[in-house]
Amino acid sequence: MSNVTTGKFSIEDLENVQVTIENIVGAIEEVEETEEEMGVTPKPGISSLRHWDFNLLNRYEPIYTPMCDQCCYCTFGKCDLSGNKEGACGIDMKAHQAREFLLRVITGASAHTGHGRHLLHHLIEKYGRDHPIDVGSSNLKTPVMQTVTGYKPETLGDLEKALDYVEEQITQLLATIHMGQEGEAIDFESKALHGGMLDHVGMEISDIAQISCLKMPKSDPESPLAEIGMGCIDSSKPMLLTIGHNVSGVTNIIDYIDEQGLSDDIEIAGLCCTAIDMTRYNTDEGDEPKSKVIGSLAKELKMIRSGVPDVIVVDEQCVRADILREAQRLSIPVISTNDKIMYGLKDRSNDNVDEILGDLESGNEPGALILDFDKLGELAPRLAMDMAPIREEKGIKSLPTSEELQELTERCVHCKECELVCPTNLSISDAMSAAESGDFAPFEELHDKCVACGRCEQVCPKDIPVLNVIEKSAQRVIREEKGKLRSGRGQVSDPEIREEGVNLVLGTTPGIIALVGCSNYPEGTKDLYRIADEMLKRNYIVVVSGCSAMDLGMYRNEDGNTLYEEYPGKFIKGNLLNVGSCVSNSHITGTAIKVASIFAQRNVTGNFEEIADYILNRIGAVGVAWGAYSQKASSIATGCNRFGIPVIIGPHGSKYRRALIGKPYDKDKWTVYDARNGEELQIPPSPEFLLSTVESVEELMPMLAKNCMRPSDNNMGRMIKLTNYIELSEKYLGVMPEDWYQFVRTETDLPLTKRGDLLKKLESEHGWEIDWKKKKIISGPSMKFDVSSQPTNVKRLCKEA
Amino acid sequence: MAEFPLEISPMFEGERIRKNDMYVELAGPKSKGFELVRATDSDEIEDGKFTLIGPDISEMEEGSRYPFAMIYKIGGELVEPDLEAIVERRNHDFYNYMQGVMHLNQRYDIWVRLSKDAVNKGLNSFEQMAAAMMSLFKNELSFIEKIEAVYITDPEEIDKELENAMEIYKERDERTANLHDEDVDTFYGCTLCQSFAPSNVCVITPDRISLCGAINWFDGRAAAKVDPEGPQFPIEKGEVIDEVGGEYSGVNEAAKSLSGGEFDRIKLHSFFEYPHTSCGCFEVVGFYIPEVDGIGWVDRDFTGNAPNGLPFSTMAGQTGGGKQVVGFLGIGINYFRSPKFLQADGGWDRVVWMPSHLKEKVVDYIPEDVVNKIPTEQDVGDISELETYLKETEHPVIERWSEEEEETEAEEEQPEQPESAPSQYMTQMPASMPSAPSWTSSASSGGVKVTLKNAKVSIDRIIVKNKE
Repeated sequence: MSNVTTGKFSIEDLENVQVTIENIVGAIEEVEETEEEMGVTPKPGISSLRHWDFNLLNRYEPIYTPMCDQCCYCTFGKCDLSGNKEGACGIDMKAHQAREFLLRVITGASAHTGHGRHLLHHLIEKYGRDHPIDVGSSNLKTPVMQTVTGYKPETLGDLEKALDYVEEQITQLLATIHMGQEGEAIDFESKALHGGMLDHVGMEISDIAQISCLKMPKSDPESPLAEIGMGCIDSSKPMLLTIGHNVSGVTNIIDYIDEQGLSDDIEIAGLCCTAIDMTRYNTDEGDEPKSKVIGSLAKELKMIRSGVPDVIVVDEQCVRADILREAQRLSIPVISTNDKIMYGLKDRSNDNVDEILGDLESGNEPGALILDFDKLGELAPRLAMDMAPIREEKGIKSLPTSEELQELTERCVHCKECELVCPTNLSISDAMSAAESGDFAPFEELHDKCVACGRCEQVCPKDIPVLNVIEKSAQRVIREEKGKLRSGRGQVSDPEIREEGVNLVLGTTPGIIALVGCSNYPEGTKDLYRIADEMLKRNYIVVVSGCSAMDLGMYRNEDGNTLYEEYPGKFIKGNLLNVGSCVSNSHITGTAIKVASIFAQRNVTGNFEEIADYILNRIGAVGVAWGAYSQKASSIATGCNRFGIPVIIGPHGSKYRRALIGKPYDKDKWTVYDARNGEELQIPPSPEFLLSTVESVEELMPMLAKNCMRPSDNNMGRMIKLTNYIELSEKYLGVMPEDWYQFVRTETDLPLTKRGDLLKKLESEHGWEIDWKKKKIISGPSMKFDVSSQPTNVKRLCKEA
Repeated sequence: MAEFPLEISPMFEGERIRKNDMYVELAGPKSKGFELVRATDSDEIEDGKFTLIGPDISEMEEGSRYPFAMIYKIGGELVEPDLEAIVERRNHDFYNYMQGVMHLNQRYDIWVRLSKDAVNKGLNSFEQMAAAMMSLFKNELSFIEKIEAVYITDPEEIDKELENAMEIYKERDERTANLHDEDVDTFYGCTLCQSFAPSNVCVITPDRISLCGAINWFDGRAAAKVDPEGPQFPIEKGEVIDEVGGEYSGVNEAAKSLSGGEFDRIKLHSFFEYPHTSCGCFEVVGFYIPEVDGIGWVDRDFTGNAPNGLPFSTMAGQTGGGKQVVGFLGIGINYFRSPKFLQADGGWDRVVWMPSHLKEKVVDYIPEDVVNKIPTEQDVGDISELETYLKETEHPVIERWSEEEEETEAEEEQPEQPESAPSQYMTQMPASMPSAPSWTSSASSGGVKVTLKNAKVSIDRIIVKNKE
């Protein structure tokens, strides 16, 4: 531990004490001065924060609605766990469901952490261990890492020990998935929360490292706007397409194009988070991004099927497994650059670039594995330049012609097999009929909701390439797909948090909404636009990242603007922030940590529980994963949960069939301690859940407002939050919410514009006593209000404890 | 009474009405008008009455512009002229709550627009707006028992009333400017911040606005009248303990109870002794520079390093959280404008550095004799340049150097070292005085006492370090 200092160390009353010192590492010259005081759980192990988890899980109970009632993990089974049966190993349904979820969480956490390890290894090799951490004007540079591990890194090399810790913990967690390990659901849940927390450390390491080295915007509210959408691609130029999440090798490609002066001759664009990070590369001094963004995972197949790319470079995560097969059909060579995805390709890392070019251009090899990034930098652009004329000469045909389209739509027998397997249940059959008679409007509309998974094609008895039909029919709208994406700004800086403080305190910022998670929204990208626009108009801060950040940039309003052009990007009320790619999600929890550190001077270092407790009770932040929910998305959300931030998932996210839900009617669950004296305090049921689902945007809106309320709200804050809750419920659901009065502590909590009416309702419908002359509530509220009270879920943080 | 035909909600606060969407423009830079609240004897008010002098909305043509004045008479047992300005400022907020209505600026600078959309949806009379406003005022500010509104759109009538209003604004400003800590018996405390910064106590006096800059003494007074148990509450000044430093027995008692005993003395206008606590959202942080025995200020918009080599974020990170931190102080920009600005420590004579844009903002409040002696980032880059600059401009702080020097000589009989002098003053500051932020953290001098039972201590790794 870094706060081991010289000085007297007296230990009294030792009984059964065993002291083990594993390593003593050599002599360093100076003693570091005044390290912050170390909290109680630096580098927590699986059991270290268990009491915090149990605290949370006691109020927010895990609910499972299993999709599958069998366990197929080992060959003692498979075991039927339905009807309260136990498996051969003794595990029951609840525990198995929790175990499945844990596996998802650590899969996600491993993806980010593995990404972080690869990136860090590469960056240390390139920039050196002593390269300083530089994330912009902040004192707290790695809030998540500092809170969890107690480390306060100054250089790239310092990040490694935190990564070591995360990897070790993930191994420990993975071990518990094995048959015959953990047996109780609640402990699997605690482990899942642990995994989620680790994920945020892994993500933070990845993003901090790349921000520090790759000249990405550093807490920049005016990070540049990048072009996004298939429509912004100039298909007359040779095109280089990147797919994945890890930008490390791609920077060499961008550098080569730059050095060779090829920027105007070659089109470089990306899919998924690599695309976001490409637009961040070398833009910390306000330069324009050198690349374009096509979109999220949902655009992968569509982009390839368009036939436009001349080379595809893949790295890791969220890359379709069939890229090579798809690309091969269209003579697009694929370069794999990361050992996580190699597609069986030959390793050509040590071969001569010209030789590789020869093999790929002739079609002798469908692609190559290149792990040497200098080689990659040269190879990929040259290949694109060479392939463009070759492919043109070959007359590579991608999408069907108009005549072929007619034939394909006529071939459809409307068996609706495709609709059955479609994850969004799109009305493909009707659209086929319309297209047959020359009306492409249904397909144009369907295109925005289609996530291009291609399952429709797999089941079509007439072998119709349904995706190609959709894409061809939607050509008009695809050409119009030109949006803007504010490239990722990185962390929220300390000074921004101070500036915003007054709004958070006075309630003029009613809350922080984080739109995260993957694509596949019930009503297409417009859903995201509606949610963000409504909340921004109401002065909420809206934070986006990854897929949501991209999809939000795809939708333009009547004035032709995206929300990035309508709202500024500072951490201040009514602003829209894109923190960056998937790994930048760590900055969302990081921001909450900074609030605790800056406003309450809470010790962050190795002090997870106290910080999470502060966030849960004071910071009105809610996450929304509106689309699908990859394993990474589930680990991000679970990490947020452990930090005390509730998350709402949309119809697709709910398919993991697990929720953490409180019971608003169970009064005993809604008490906290007052840290001033340890007395119990009644609090309102908010946040009502840590993880819950909703079906529609209409249902979501009031839920967001409601779950931004926190026990510590002062009356001005509560008034604004309650106003938004009531207004959104009336606007979207057409009713006054039935539980609104539960959030009223004094008359000053009541929405100003409705105060008189609501006082009447409190009197007539809820039997509260009102002093009408003073317009004051005399009795009724179940909670006493005292803004100086200090709500906490942790007894040891109380003065008297 | 006429009902406002659209929604009224805080969510419309940011609403802007562009020229093309505007039905009518009222007052504004190309016309004139004002808003005024008057404390009036209750007997002279007919509650809820609305009078319009001049044409109504329905008589106005689309795209036209009119002068516009709003006068509200308020009455009630607790209503007094000191509250007028507070109520008046709420007019701006409440106007903007109305959908389709935009209100900018205040007093005689007001600028109002009504949208076409609002007029199409039935907004045709000022009475609808006035009625909504009167109801909001009474809802929010319960000391208003009776209220009456007079709106004017007739140019001649406005000319007449404007003169009168200007006179009232002037009197009010004079009263505000001339009201000081010594003129009142009551200060106000504010605990709004405690929802985020649990132990912070903000004391608001006529000469000291709240740290966030959002609440002045008059606001505190109004809020305390509305709800004496609310987040702003009176603090009886009590005995004067230190007039210059601004220490009062009442404030000390309040500090003790509100901070849960964490501290029991506050000097309102002192940097070095029992300074006011800092929450988190202060706009500017002051930092002691021991080498020159002066105070530098840096605000959050300044992204570079101050002469001591540290940026705002690092120094701000040392203070805040409702703690008393000697050597650092967070303040609102407005406090620079207070005549009692750090008077315990020499006020402006002690200020030795600030960023140029910050200096520009407050330049009118800096006494003439030092204004050109306070360097900015454009003048000096580090401490030694700062020393030189202060010497060359004969900044008043250098007088302190010679005082200290003499003491040194007298006590220790050291030879005179005028050239390298400033750097030695560090040693003469009180022991608790920090030279860099790191000094302020709780001193980790070792000496831990642990009681263990059934314990197992594992140490993953110990790094042994040489002592210098």
